[in-house]
Amino acid sequence: MLRPVYLDHAATTPVDSRVAAAMAQCLTVEGEFGNPASASHPFGDAAGALVETARAQVAAAVGAVPSEVIWTSGATEADNLAIFGVAQYYREHGRHIITVRTEHKAVLDPCRELERRGWRVTYLAPDSGGVIHPDQVAAALRADTVLVSIMQVNNEIGVIQDVSAMGAVCAKHGGARLHVDAAQSVGKIAVDFAELGVDLMSLSAHKVYGPKGVGALLVSRRGGRGGDRGRVQLTALQFGGGQERGFRAGTVATHQVVGMGLAFELARTAPPSEVERISVLRERLWQGLASLGGIFRNGDAKRSVPHVLNVSFEGVEGESLLAAVRGRLAVSTGSACTSALQEPSYVLRALGRDDILSESSLRFGLGRGTSESDIDTAVAVVTRAVSRLRKIGGT
Amino acid sequence: MNYSELTLQYFETAAGAGVLTGPDVYRGAAGSRAQGTWVQFDLQVSGGIIHAARFLAFGCPHTIAVSAWVAEHAGGPLARATLPERVQDLSERFAVPMEKRGRLLIIEDAWVAAVNAALQR
Repeated sequence: MLRPVYLDHAATTPVDSRVAAAMAQCLTVEGEFGNPASASHPFGDAAGALVETARAQVAAAVGAVPSEVIWTSGATEADNLAIFGVAQYYREHGRHIITVRTEHKAVLDPCRELERRGWRVTYLAPDSGGVIHPDQVAAALRADTVLVSIMQVNNEIGVIQDVSAMGAVCAKHGGARLHVDAAQSVGKIAVDFAELGVDLMSLSAHKVYGPKGVGALLVSRRGGRGGDRGRVQLTALQFGGGQERGFRAGTVATHQVVGMGLAFELARTAPPSEVERISVLRERLWQGLASLGGIFRNGDAKRSVPHVLNVSFEGVEGESLLAAVRGRLAVSTGSACTSALQEPSYVLRALGRDDILSESSLRFGLGRGTSESDIDTAVAVVTRAVSRLRKIGGT
Repeated sequence: MNYSELTLQYFETAAGAGVLTGPDVYRGAAGSRAQGTWVQFDLQVSGGIIHAARFLAFGCPHTIAVSAWVAEHAGGPLARATLPERVQDLSERFAVPMEKRGRLLIIEDAWVAAVNAALQR
């Protein structure tokens, strides 16, 4: 049986074979299997050196310094550490947080939990293109605001936010720290932690051809933009060994961070032509689908990363659309499918799409392995499915 | 979501999708596209006998598959305004999840509306 064409790289990517090989070197007795915190023998020293090399690789890929990298189990844990860590540390300064209605659940759910614990959260509404404007952040800031959390690249629609401008807004405010979830950014757009002037940044390995189960939180040691308001501080969420400067206790998984380090290194050194290639393929996909008519591109195309295309199809029901293509095509709906019944995507609804169009959307995530042939297959499969479902539905 | 083989078979073939025209065609519909599920049946009836049935369905694969099955098994006497098989039996035949069984009631409503249109001619 033929495997479907994989166009879900925004969900996850296959581990690069070079990354997998490097990881394997850290697992068995022939390799560097030691505990990186064991300073009393060469096994620990060797593993520790690999961990620090990986830390430097991650830092170099995103314009940070190695001491700003805190290993986590992924971007979700990094988001949780940033949000709960800042909220807890600065609770005497204020209990107000600003975020966006289109954030990932890894940000929204911690914010809702903080609301249950007495914090106040302002959820900014994006414009119809999915963009948050810096003056919205400025208008929402209050004297008791301690954190602004905004993702750099939206995971459903690929829209890029101007986090640098938001960093400037937060710096002017003085008390508000800026956290940025950049899980979808690395390898797609240039990321410069220092230049952006943000305080905290969440990263993930598995979106960049690295392994699942590892990520990082960057914690600025420069005091944010201008460096004049003191370093951001966090309260740790777990305890038990003091690893990662006390921010994240637990034995560092050498093979995981080595994989993340190399994946980020490969992303940093990838030729710029790859981004252009993906961009051309995405436009080929969009143009191919456009002949169907009754389709809508979700998110501001001028401010979108090249590897994501989110399209709503008029006149078809979302679950049937996905069922009709799933044998040939691995894509996501725009929906957050958290139950047996599909729920309309809260991201697309925040952009003003109605429930039916929010449900009848597909997110195409292109990646390194995507070819012209894959795109042409996708166009043919989706065109046939949509045409057929419209006929069955009498639309 | 996983679907039964029967559901996939009827969803993928959807034989009987379309409309009928003519003086002896009776139509019934229920549901709403805006609500996510809409079904329409056309029945060709003469002499108290259903000779053909077609359907249109906007909805999930279960909705399309069950509508197609109902249209396929619709032939015969126009005796009562009931489905060829009870909703409970259809939900078991197609392994329709409990939370989606309300959609079968929309199919039933559309069917009943079409049969009533024919009975009241």
